[in-house]
Amino acid sequence: MASVLEIQNLQVSYFSREVRSRPVLSGVSFDLMPGEILGVLGESGSGKSTLAASVLRLLPPNGQVGGGAVLFEGKNLLQVSSEELRQIRGNRIALIFQEPSLALHPTIRVGEQVRRVLAAHQSSGKNDLDHRTREVFNRLFAQEADRILRSYPHQLSGGQRQRVLIAQAIACNPALVIADEPTAALDPVTQMEILRVFRDLREHLGLAMIFITHNPALLAGIADRILILYAGQVVEWGPAETALRSPKHPYTKALFESIPAGTGETEKSRKTSLPVIPGNSSPSSLPRKGCSFEPRCPVRMDVCREFEPPLVKLGQSHIVSCFKYKE
Amino acid sequence: MTRRRKIVFWLFVLGGLHGIVLCAGFFAPYDPVEQDRINPYLPPMHLHIVDAEKHLHLRPFVYASRLRPGTFDQYVEDIRQTRPLKFFVAGAPYRLFGFLPARLHLFGDGKERIYLLGTDAFGRDQLSRLLFGGQISLFSGLLGAGFTLSIGWCIGAAAGYYGGWRDDMLMRLVELFLALPWLYLLFAVRAFLPLTVNPLKAFFLIIAVIAAVGWARPARLVRGIVLSAKERDFVRAARGFGASSFYILRRHILPETSSVLLTQAAILIPQYVLAEMTLSFLGLGVPEPVPSWGNLLSNLQQYSVLVSYWWMYLPALVMAPFFLGYLGLASALQESSDAYKIEKRSLGSLA
Repeated sequence: MASVLEIQNLQVSYFSREVRSRPVLSGVSFDLMPGEILGVLGESGSGKSTLAASVLRLLPPNGQVGGGAVLFEGKNLLQVSSEELRQIRGNRIALIFQEPSLALHPTIRVGEQVRRVLAAHQSSGKNDLDHRTREVFNRLFAQEADRILRSYPHQLSGGQRQRVLIAQAIACNPALVIADEPTAALDPVTQMEILRVFRDLREHLGLAMIFITHNPALLAGIADRILILYAGQVVEWGPAETALRSPKHPYTKALFESIPAGTGETEKSRKTSLPVIPGNSSPSSLPRKGCSFEPRCPVRMDVCREFEPPLVKLGQSHIVSCFKYKE
Repeated sequence: MTRRRKIVFWLFVLGGLHGIVLCAGFFAPYDPVEQDRINPYLPPMHLHIVDAEKHLHLRPFVYASRLRPGTFDQYVEDIRQTRPLKFFVAGAPYRLFGFLPARLHLFGDGKERIYLLGTDAFGRDQLSRLLFGGQISLFSGLLGAGFTLSIGWCIGAAAGYYGGWRDDMLMRLVELFLALPWLYLLFAVRAFLPLTVNPLKAFFLIIAVIAAVGWARPARLVRGIVLSAKERDFVRAARGFGASSFYILRRHILPETSSVLLTQAAILIPQYVLAEMTLSFLGLGVPEPVPSWGNLLSNLQQYSVLVSYWWMYLPALVMAPFFLGYLGLASALQESSDAYKIEKRSLGSLA
């Protein structure tokens, strides 16, 4: 089956006055099948949000794509004209932003904000747009869809606002939805609710999704495959089941170990301190040789300091970037 | 609510003042260019309701003026001749709002003339000239500010929105224009035109020059707001959902700049009225006999007028309530937009 989105060797860097060019993504490649949910996992500064923004060319002015390709439905999005791109944004690929309270206009009713997304892409009549807006709201809100439609963002709760953002994203039936930490600003109960919404949408609409988060626990029930980013590089990419249960890369292992155990913890385990990864996430401002995780790696070898590790294929589709593994 | 009430108050004040000037034809008793050559520099006539014999009149009246015996330019009230004010009388024909033909005046006296604010060198009624002159002066201020703000908005928004080398280029241009001495620039522009130009041409020339020089400051203000507005998350989100640049400028950026535009307008209009007056005072504005406040004041260039006829200063005095109104409105607008910002900030920190 042909993939919906294919990213090949994507390189993005940011410019600033002090540093001429700081690489944020260096050589990221992956692909996404129709209906697949890809979980992108990484800590702050690993390039997750940059990845989301560069797919739709929404990088801030000081961001620049250095190379690579973003292939969507046979077109390289990095090269299409801006009008073509405008027609794809929101229509074929939709982005769900991090902060639901900031991503909505404060003085426009949320129903209107969803309707305008539709209006930007469809030249149908007013009644048709209203009807479709209502449909989208009914899908996302079991009750009170009509009241919420007429509300302003400040009259809604965080979870409701997040649902409005999702409504905007799915209004045009896109082929791909990119959710950039959609639950970061929400409390755990609402997070679960929103995850359920995503799961429902996948079942009913069959859209492909990139779900970006820093919390591995969120991906457990929702992602088909998982991509782990560290310092702008893919360190591990594989099926959710295997990647979550038996991670291979030292970084992934360390990351999962630093999650507090959920239920069933004993009095004793609560007292032992949580393992942490020593050191800081490497600032990639200086070009350096070797593996980017090497300075913090508990199992580093001499070779790690000198050379960049290759991508090693383990099993069907599990890829790890580490010298510890051989094909 | 009090902030809003303040704005409404100043809007009412300004609305009233402008209404009077707009309906100058009705409030002015005479045609502004009609001459009464036997009564030059007649001082303002006083309104009375009690006559020399201590009789109370319900209808206000003025005494006719006559020359003080032995002088040729000093007038005294002639208590034998009363001229009662008649209200809503038919008089000199005029066009209301520039197109509706009318004859009705607020007051007047069919036969004898009443000069409540005196006359000028040609015996023209100063009150009528003042009211009609306000039309030119205020309209040039309003139109000039309108042009300035639209040019300034377009250039500032383009610079802020597109950024990069366009921003740099436009901002250098802004600095160049801020450095230009507009008065002398106007002299230069005027030098290219024939000696006598018709009043309409002169009027638009003034506005064009004012706008051509004045756009720089609002452009810089607008640019700053656009720079911050375009980085808002909901603006980025709109772009992510396929909004065009034009849509974002119209729906997200123009509303953000509206409070600055309004405040700027309230500051610029009186400034431009003053600019028109300066130009006309120097004889570069609308030519005689068309009245404008600057034209009326240009009589003061003669020393004899300056020392002898105090009522020729009145146009300068009349400006004061207009300026006060605009400055009051500007500060009320400023206050309300600041308050809005503070409220927004505290809401943001709560969320």
